[in-house]
Amino acid sequence: MKILILGAGAIGGYVGGRLHQSGADVTFLVRDKRNEALTRDGLVIKSTKGDITQKVKTVTKATDGGPYDIVLLTCKAYDLDSAIDAIAPAIGAGTTIVPLLNGMRHIDVLATKFGDAKVVGGLARVGVAMNGKGEILHTSPFAAISFGERGAAPARPALVALDAAIKKSGVDGGLNANIVQDLWDKWIMLCTLAATCCLMRGASGDILEADEGQAIVLETVDEGRKVAAAAGHDPGEKGLATIRSFLTVKGSKFTASMLHDLEKGAMVEADHVVGDMIARARKAGIATPNLRMAYAHLQVYLAQRARKRA
Amino acid sequence: MKILILGAGAVGGYWGARLHQSGADVTFLLREKRAEKVRKDGLVVKSPKGDAVVPAKVVTKGSEGGPYDIVVLACKAYDLDSAMDSIAPAVGSGTTIVPMLNGHAHFATLDAKFGAARVAGGLARISGMLGPNGEILHSGASGVSFGERDGKPARASLVELEAACKKAGIEGGINANINQDLWDKWIMLATIAGMCSSMRGTVGDIMETEDGEAIVLETLDESCKVATAEGHAPSDKVLAGLRTMLTAKGSKAVASILGDMEKGGAAEGKQIVGDMLGRARKHGIAAPNLRFAYTHLQTYEARRARGGLK
Repeated sequence: MKILILGAGAIGGYVGGRLHQSGADVTFLVRDKRNEALTRDGLVIKSTKGDITQKVKTVTKATDGGPYDIVLLTCKAYDLDSAIDAIAPAIGAGTTIVPLLNGMRHIDVLATKFGDAKVVGGLARVGVAMNGKGEILHTSPFAAISFGERGAAPARPALVALDAAIKKSGVDGGLNANIVQDLWDKWIMLCTLAATCCLMRGASGDILEADEGQAIVLETVDEGRKVAAAAGHDPGEKGLATIRSFLTVKGSKFTASMLHDLEKGAMVEADHVVGDMIARARKAGIATPNLRMAYAHLQVYLAQRARKRA
Repeated sequence: MKILILGAGAVGGYWGARLHQSGADVTFLLREKRAEKVRKDGLVVKSPKGDAVVPAKVVTKGSEGGPYDIVVLACKAYDLDSAMDSIAPAVGSGTTIVPMLNGHAHFATLDAKFGAARVAGGLARISGMLGPNGEILHSGASGVSFGERDGKPARASLVELEAACKKAGIEGGINANINQDLWDKWIMLATIAGMCSSMRGTVGDIMETEDGEAIVLETLDESCKVATAEGHAPSDKVLAGLRTMLTAKGSKAVASILGDMEKGGAAEGKQIVGDMLGRARKHGIAAPNLRFAYTHLQTYEARRARGGLK
């Protein structure tokens, strides 16, 4: 089974590196500059689960080295359009695309472009970052990806094979029969965290110090829940309880990565993580006053950023 | 007439310097460090209306140099408690206190401590800031107004203060409508401070977002309802002016509280936004946007108290 990974950033680099290390046939599709660095220095992973520097297969065009059975997409949501252009030549009749992006909108975009059947659901849970030297720094105790069919059908052979490769690589997770619900649950959590941390410019615990911080966080969870329910994916009481307890830990230093990006002046997944939730809410006639406020905050930031870069 | 001014920031410093230059008997009540600087270098004013170095009279205790006819409070609202302790020895039976603070909360506090009869209303329209060496960088407006809060004719010391201001080239003077003007200014401030801080941008930045104008106008409306419930509804003319000013496309207008926050300094969130929200609650007025803004400001304080995001 041939696996193409778009990008060798934090998640793609870590997961692809572990797959390669354990003998899977992995190719990284990267830009020229990253290709030079990887060819010269190898892929460097520094991890709580062991450091490794290894030579990996790279291509700079998706026409090279294919056809691929699996294409793993680990780009940021705002790079989706260019990612689609980049992978398009690698997609053959038997290719399965496994996107590991936040939110849901990318699934519709990919399905429209490549056909519904080629796109499965995927979810990453890896506490990983890339430093200025292009090294992958995996600092958290967990590293998991899960994936599965979006419909009720049993997993296709390519996903079964990917599951086996993932298990062999030491990355946690694998096949997930419940992937779409899990994507919604994660999105509700992420959307709330990103919206509230950015709107309030603080860590989870800072917000909870404010008189109404917890109430605002819980209302925001509820806005996401209603949108999910309207799409037929209510997380249910148990799923909700998990999300709520995660977001209401007093003193928590937990912070949305979007806030870190924002304070660095970097691009943010505002439209994908928050804007799309609002758009779905509007369509379903659901009021989302908290998300609206947060999205306005993010739009102010994006307008300022665009002006600075102009 | 002897005038004591607590604080030598942009408002107190500029006003007092001009009074002193024109021959008024002005003393500044300052903290030790600031007092030393002013004693050594004089009060340095850089202004479009003329630069000056003023050898001002300085005391560090309210018990010195009194009794005073007028005590001007030109501190930040969050310093009110320590300011009251400082001026207490300077306040005699014939003293009038003229507070130049933002918001309205300070009146109840001052009335309780010194008696309502001693406390006049005051409003500053002096734009400027302190430079890195403590110099007063005056940038535009140079008006102050003051008057009896019950609308009665001004007491003799205020009439005298007005004459001194006219001689000093300070615009404004006695204001028979001071209480309403204070409310009008507070409505404006609660909106602009609430919005610029929680959106982290200028009025113009906020206007660039989809819902920015609507959010600002809703917030203004929340404050107007509070003012109305308190018996101080703004006139149609004032309201129209505020609407225009707060929704001007491309406007670089910004609340000074945002500058304080971006420097990591103390912010008057509680007095400007929190007190407006508190009064909304008391009157049963829904104020969702002020609630978001105040939560942002409280989150800021929590984050500041623990020294950052990490």
